[in-house]
Amino acid sequence: MLAFVQVLASGVAIGCVYGLVALSFVLIYKATETVSFMQGDLLMLGAFAALGLHAFAGWPLVVAAVAAVLGVGVLGAVLERTVLRRALGQPHLVAVLLTFGLGMMMRGGVASVPAAAQDMHRLPFAADTLAIGPLALATSHLWVIAATVLLAGLLAAFFRHTRTGLALRACSEDARSAALMGIPVARMHTLAWALGAALAAIAGLLLAPVTFVHLNMGFIALKAFPAAVLGGLTSLPGALVAGVFLGVAEALAGLALPEGAKDFVPYVLLMAALLLFPQGLGGGRGRA
Amino acid sequence: MSAAPLRGGMPAVRAALPWLAVLLLALAWLGTDYALGKATLVATYAVAGLGVVVVVGQAGQIALGQAALVALGAYAQALLVARGVPAPLALPAAVAAGAIGGALASLPARRLGGLYFGMSTLAFALIVEEALARWESLTHGAAGLAVGAFAFAGWRADSTLAQAAVSVAALALALLACARLLASRHGRAWRAVRDDELAAAACGIDTDAAKMQAFVVGGALSGLAGGLYAHWIGFISPEQFGLVFSFELLMLAFIGGARRIAGAAWGALVIVAIPPLISVLRDRLPGDWARASGLELLLFGAVIVAVVLLRPAGLAGGGQGRER
Repeated sequence: MLAFVQVLASGVAIGCVYGLVALSFVLIYKATETVSFMQGDLLMLGAFAALGLHAFAGWPLVVAAVAAVLGVGVLGAVLERTVLRRALGQPHLVAVLLTFGLGMMMRGGVASVPAAAQDMHRLPFAADTLAIGPLALATSHLWVIAATVLLAGLLAAFFRHTRTGLALRACSEDARSAALMGIPVARMHTLAWALGAALAAIAGLLLAPVTFVHLNMGFIALKAFPAAVLGGLTSLPGALVAGVFLGVAEALAGLALPEGAKDFVPYVLLMAALLLFPQGLGGGRGRA
Repeated sequence: MSAAPLRGGMPAVRAALPWLAVLLLALAWLGTDYALGKATLVATYAVAGLGVVVVVGQAGQIALGQAALVALGAYAQALLVARGVPAPLALPAAVAAGAIGGALASLPARRLGGLYFGMSTLAFALIVEEALARWESLTHGAAGLAVGAFAFAGWRADSTLAQAAVSVAALALALLACARLLASRHGRAWRAVRDDELAAAACGIDTDAAKMQAFVVGGALSGLAGGLYAHWIGFISPEQFGLVFSFELLMLAFIGGARRIAGAAWGALVIVAIPPLISVLRDRLPGDWARASGLELLLFGAVIVAVVLLRPAGLAGGGQGRER
């Protein structure tokens, strides 16, 4: 029973990371109809930026983390302004190749820094465990869960109660009508990419204490695609919930099924879900 | 635009002329063995890329996991040859493995289309890669499989010339078959679905079936390429057929101009030429930069971005019109 709860907690924590990356993917896809294949690389970049600013430039950890998230967000906006804008209205293939190429450049760029390429790094987060009676939970997992809940609340408030959030939602619903209502659609696209990139960077920071910081940490974003699809591809809460669901399903599969089956689970679930529930598990009534 | 530029006869001869020139130049410049080895690779990549051209360029769908279908073909071939089946007789099994893989990968998304095909083919590819690594009793897992030479009735394709001849013959057959297929009602159905799915359905085309057929044909071509590739490389392991290979094939179709089947060969030429060119460029760079491990990745990414930005319709696309 204790082991079960511990596995469940770590599943929820890793699922929160899947959910955040899926959220960033869906946010960009909804607002700009562009498929981003570089969310994993933005995640990795965010973690390395924080690491570099903290360990090598000597900034305090909190300042370094905030600067890294803002920096990656600005990078997302700049890339939208200069490159990604060209993929607007083009077939998905153009955006897929473009973002994959940009992601490769980011990975190559980080790998070119000798200190970064070597091996695993760790951010000096609390690595200890919290004991509740006989139950021992990793504090890093609790941090991830708490931060995700807080972030989800902030995003919900942003989309519901601010004019900018409303404008972004209007753009996602119908860009043409939004433009006719006087919403600066192009600026909203830039904002969507900035937000999407910043969210990926936050996911990277949250993942850092769980899996450490290394070049291939971005591959976790591949699990965000099943999460996005299970959530219906256009629903922000759906993406987050599906991410947590996948994390838990994966953790339980690791407990119950033979070695290695764990890595299949998200993809098998994705294919099964497409086959059985083509509208996504939320029934396709997703809201922002 | 003309549906099938290679319909046999004179146009095919004219299309082959620039290739003869490229081959002669390469032979003179790079030396016989190297040039023939690269020609083998270009022809094999072109067959695999042809599968992507059918799915992406003709049927207008998206396939993000084509490398897995190449892997299925390669493993089918390697396992059959290891059990004593002559290589040419094993090839149909490789083709079938690729075709079945294409059907399975696209099945979940057949009624949804568009991006969902990308998602289901991606998921299928990741499952296949993982399965090949885990099913150790059959595939030897990550340790990989050694594959013997392409041999038939006492004759072995050991020399680079023989290998190049076999793969170019396979490419020619594949191009011919594709040209016939694209000129048939299947090809017309694919293009109708690509250009306007609603109108295609209104004309009585079974759009779900047309999309599935494109994935099956595309998978078969990639499976064929996998069967040959296994012999040329001589050693296969799951990680050769990862996401990067899938994207190389997408890139190949994109560069070639996904609408024309002859584009696959030009795209294959560019894709095969990029890594050697990057290593040449890297040797010219001063000091520490040349030794940085991420440089090749960085340059390859830059090439992808540059090609997509400069010629969104592909290099052989003539620069006009958008693709779907």
